[in-house]
Amino acid sequence: MKHVILGATALTLLATSAVAQEVTLGRFFGDCEDAGTDTSASVGEACIIQSIINAADAEIDGLSINTLPTDWGNYYDQIVAAYAGGTPPNVHVMHRHRVPEFANIGALADLTDDLEGAGIDPSDWEPAALEAVTYNERIVGVPMDIHANLWHVNMDLMEAAGLVEDGAPILPSSPEEMLEHARMVQEATGQDYLAADFAEFPIGVRVALALIWQQGANIFEGDTATIDTEETRNAISAITQLFDAGLSNPQLNYADSQQAFLNGEAAVLVNGTWVVDFYAAEAARDDEGLNSYFVADFPTLFDEGATWADSHMWAIPSPVKANDPDTYATALQVLAFINDHNLDWARTGHMAVRTSVLESAEYAALPHREEYTGTADIARDTPPSVRYGAIQDALNRELQAIWLTGKSVDAALADAQSDVQDLLDR
Amino acid sequence: MPQHQGARLVLSQGQAAAILLLPFLTIYAVFLVYPFFKGVWISLHDWNLMAVAFNPDAKAYVGLSNYERVMWGSNITWGAWASPAFQFIGLAGAVASAWLYRTGRAGKVTALAMGGAALLLFVLPGFHPGEGGRWYDRRFWPTVGNTILFVGLAVPGVTITAMLLAAALDGETRAKAVLRTLFFLSQVLSVTVVTLIWQIMFSPRQGLIANLTQLFGGSPIVWLTAEGFAMASIVIATIWWSLGIAMILFLAGIQDISKDLYEAGALDNATGAKAFWYITLPNLKRTITLVVVLQIILHFQVFGQSHLMTNGGPNDTTQVLVRYIYQTAFRDSELGRASAMAVFLFVIMGGFSILQFVLGREKDQ
Repeated sequence: MKHVILGATALTLLATSAVAQEVTLGRFFGDCEDAGTDTSASVGEACIIQSIINAADAEIDGLSINTLPTDWGNYYDQIVAAYAGGTPPNVHVMHRHRVPEFANIGALADLTDDLEGAGIDPSDWEPAALEAVTYNERIVGVPMDIHANLWHVNMDLMEAAGLVEDGAPILPSSPEEMLEHARMVQEATGQDYLAADFAEFPIGVRVALALIWQQGANIFEGDTATIDTEETRNAISAITQLFDAGLSNPQLNYADSQQAFLNGEAAVLVNGTWVVDFYAAEAARDDEGLNSYFVADFPTLFDEGATWADSHMWAIPSPVKANDPDTYATALQVLAFINDHNLDWARTGHMAVRTSVLESAEYAALPHREEYTGTADIARDTPPSVRYGAIQDALNRELQAIWLTGKSVDAALADAQSDVQDLLDR
Repeated sequence: MPQHQGARLVLSQGQAAAILLLPFLTIYAVFLVYPFFKGVWISLHDWNLMAVAFNPDAKAYVGLSNYERVMWGSNITWGAWASPAFQFIGLAGAVASAWLYRTGRAGKVTALAMGGAALLLFVLPGFHPGEGGRWYDRRFWPTVGNTILFVGLAVPGVTITAMLLAAALDGETRAKAVLRTLFFLSQVLSVTVVTLIWQIMFSPRQGLIANLTQLFGGSPIVWLTAEGFAMASIVIATIWWSLGIAMILFLAGIQDISKDLYEAGALDNATGAKAFWYITLPNLKRTITLVVVLQIILHFQVFGQSHLMTNGGPNDTTQVLVRYIYQTAFRDSELGRASAMAVFLFVIMGGFSILQFVLGREKDQ
């Protein structure tokens, strides 16, 4: 009997491997146990993307997807090492800001002429999304979203401070007004006005960048670092005035700042589009803390609107296209499936990239969607650079030094300026 | 007894040894010696990890330029009091070594080794950028300093705690056996689990330490993001983690000490702390040397605690050498530069090993 079972298992495995084309897939977004294949029921980035992958695995004939174990924080290090070792995943997710680093050396497959054949229509992509996946006028990826920093608002605290009008929060239009609002919230509720991860990931950097862009400046142009400027000082003092007045705590990391907001200890949390569905679910729970949740566009404190934004996209390594046409064709099918489920992915809170999805009634009906429609117009990022990761780290280090260790703004900006210039010169 | 045909192939002792050593030597050469020299070779090149993977010709020989870009700067000068604290300790150490040798308290080799190390401490921190000058990589030397600080805190921390625990838990009662197991348990965890546990412990919102502080009316310390506490917190996590092996080594050392010594000591009224100081400690000298050497080599390679708990921050105060090497190689793809730093790390670890070896040998004589 044992032999029969073993024989049958071996035969089944043989048969399956003969038919199914395995595609290895690398992604961040975290783990989701038991995501299932229902792409319309899962909640949160990890579970939504895994349910889409599981559904592709189940629904596409002759395809088997192997999702590789990767770690969020070290994702790009792992991917770079995998490319260097000649074993990159057949399909992997990445950010728009990493495109120059990979495409610059020809690591990404040119998909331009193969998309239509795979059932992907690039003309349905929003211009910003098409631009995100284009390098030297060739398409090197399939965009999945545009994500940006938002202001997540606790309406109960804002209401108590008298900062609600017509069901929407009253947001500041200048740094001075922001300080005034922060004082009003603290006087009325005893809670902080603004929370964000100013201590761990570069979310504080993204807040500062938005405020620099709002003044028409940037941190580098071409090969020249432009950090040590009046505009950067204005942006920093807009933030540090809240810390100095005890109206915001710079020492909270990502998890702690989020918890502070969910506990009802901060009126505003600056975080991305990726948590809208999660916070909406948390607010709906009948417990203490956040109960009345609103999502707002990043307010304009200076001259023009701007908020940090990026895109998630899927790419195929160029060696797959060059050496393994079967896997390449199957990998394109996976990308087409993900592209078809753009609406499901947008349930996270991210902005969809397909015009047909953006204009659909289902998309408009997603929770809180109408509250941050302005974000797409003010979405910005630093200029493309192969050193993006290192530049972000340098900025994060120096800005954190200002608000966590009391390093003087002059010293920190001089150091940031020389560090970023060094990176641009390499 | 019939003779075997193969009896002609009797091997000499040397030949047998060579054959038996061959598998080890092959693996050692392929996986240790070759990568080491390859690393040195890479450090002499401008070598982009990703670019070379796609085009093997994308590297360029640059000689010692990577070393210069990492360790040197423009307009570097030397001053006797550029870094007073380190240089004073170095000078004092050199004088002390000479005095110890003169008065016969230290042997020639020991005095030379200590004096050499002390002189290095006087000379190296004296280099600094002069007027209008700058380090090419301003983060490298502070990173080396952080690594040495980490080693300087973690090694005595582990050694002293493990020794005291071993002395306290030496014995045959059931409770002591259970406690020995408990204290060793942390050693088997991986760095990811250890850092996760301690991130929760240190969390100002949900951590045990914060809850205890609040219980006594204090406001919680934000351990991982406060400049004065970040290094302390990764040292504490490290001590907790690497206590086990050191404790077992000390237990073995303590159990090697003859009971007669304690009995004789007891007759002279030396029990408890006195017995520990006059009997246990002197007999543990060799074990202490071993534990310290192992710990120094181990902790110079610290990476996970800094990478996972503090991201090297705040303001680079917990940025350590291996993390810097890792980031340079894999985030920035600059393999040549990273290899130059790795060779530097090898040299200082090798230096410490030789120093310890020399000191240990002299004690035996």
